[in-house]
Amino acid sequence: MRRRRWSHAARHAALVAICTLMLLPFYWVLKTAVTDENIYVYPPRLLPRDPHPYNFVDVWYLIPFPRYLLNSALVSGLTVAGNVVLNAMAAYALTRPFPGRRWVLLLLLSCMLIPFQATIIPAYLITARMGLLNTYLGLALPMLSTIVCIFIYKSAFEAVPRSLIDAARIDGLSEWRIIARVLLPLSRPAIATNVILAFIWSWNSFMWPLIITRDADMQTLPLGLARFLSYMEDTTGALYAFVVMVLVPGIVVFLMAQSAFIRGLTAGATKG
Amino acid sequence: MSWLLSRWVVLPAAMAAIVLSWNLWVATHAGGVVEGRVVDAAGRAVPGAEVVLYGRSFVTNDERQRTRAGDGGIFRFTGNASHALQLQAEAPGLGRSERVTVRLLFRAQDTRLPTPLRLEGAPLRIGGAPS
Repeated sequence: MRRRRWSHAARHAALVAICTLMLLPFYWVLKTAVTDENIYVYPPRLLPRDPHPYNFVDVWYLIPFPRYLLNSALVSGLTVAGNVVLNAMAAYALTRPFPGRRWVLLLLLSCMLIPFQATIIPAYLITARMGLLNTYLGLALPMLSTIVCIFIYKSAFEAVPRSLIDAARIDGLSEWRIIARVLLPLSRPAIATNVILAFIWSWNSFMWPLIITRDADMQTLPLGLARFLSYMEDTTGALYAFVVMVLVPGIVVFLMAQSAFIRGLTAGATKG
Repeated sequence: MSWLLSRWVVLPAAMAAIVLSWNLWVATHAGGVVEGRVVDAAGRAVPGAEVVLYGRSFVTNDERQRTRAGDGGIFRFTGNASHALQLQAEAPGLGRSERVTVRLLFRAQDTRLPTPLRLEGAPLRIGGAPS
């Protein structure tokens, strides 16, 4: 009994040590953001000396931070909405039998192997032809539907008993309403996973916004961070305050949906 | 009504309440008033001392306003629109003070210098060459 308790405690101690190690860079960013010390200062101080909030104030006023925040929030909102709706439709189609279904699945899986950088020129040309350059919809367009999230929905929909969908169909529900009224309410972890992944990918996206925005007013937070870095090379504190302000929304969204997110990612991992 | 207690409602509502409260606070304390006092090396008030306010412009500090200290060495600027400013005072025969940096929590925050500007530097003209 005592041996088991010791083993339990040792396991927890190891986990705490690993967590501390992984969280240390985040702590260091936060500590640097609330002080004026350089991140490379030697010897390093573990605790912040004379912490203050003024670096955050500098970031807010020295660049158009509220504008970047609004742009990022709008683009991420569009991306999340697109992923939740479009991926559900695609996933439902993939759970239904139709000729060439296996080929479509194979095509989608093989498309996941192609890096986004390789498709940037055609994506740019298509967006330009649609007249969406320098618009919010254009910024969100390549991520409105993502293959990984389609498969997360697909595995969640496949876990719903077939008889339930058949019963809904017998009751006269259309295919759209089966998705909206039966499948989506039973797939909340998959929705949470879609929301988090789409939000974080869109929030952190750098290259696509860099390519298709023309005006400074349309830039998103990662572009603003690059711009800020180019202007303020010597202000370590303000730079890391910017980093914290960019990170916080993603962390908040993740913390709000983390349990559902983990359930959504592990759904379908085990059978029986 | 249980959805009202969901974290997806409670957390955004709490954040909205904090943002609203902060904006109310800012709106009622953003008069752009900067007050302080000028004293000499012995700590005596210096009426008539010239005080200059520099506002932060990205990486430089540019002169925005100047005023003269009144009775008791008290000076007051109105209409400050910066969130980071510097203040410096000078009086003939007494030299000038150090440039004091004042960082505010928001633009145009009403503020009063906690310590007076002390004239004990070299007798130079503000922003110019040695006299």
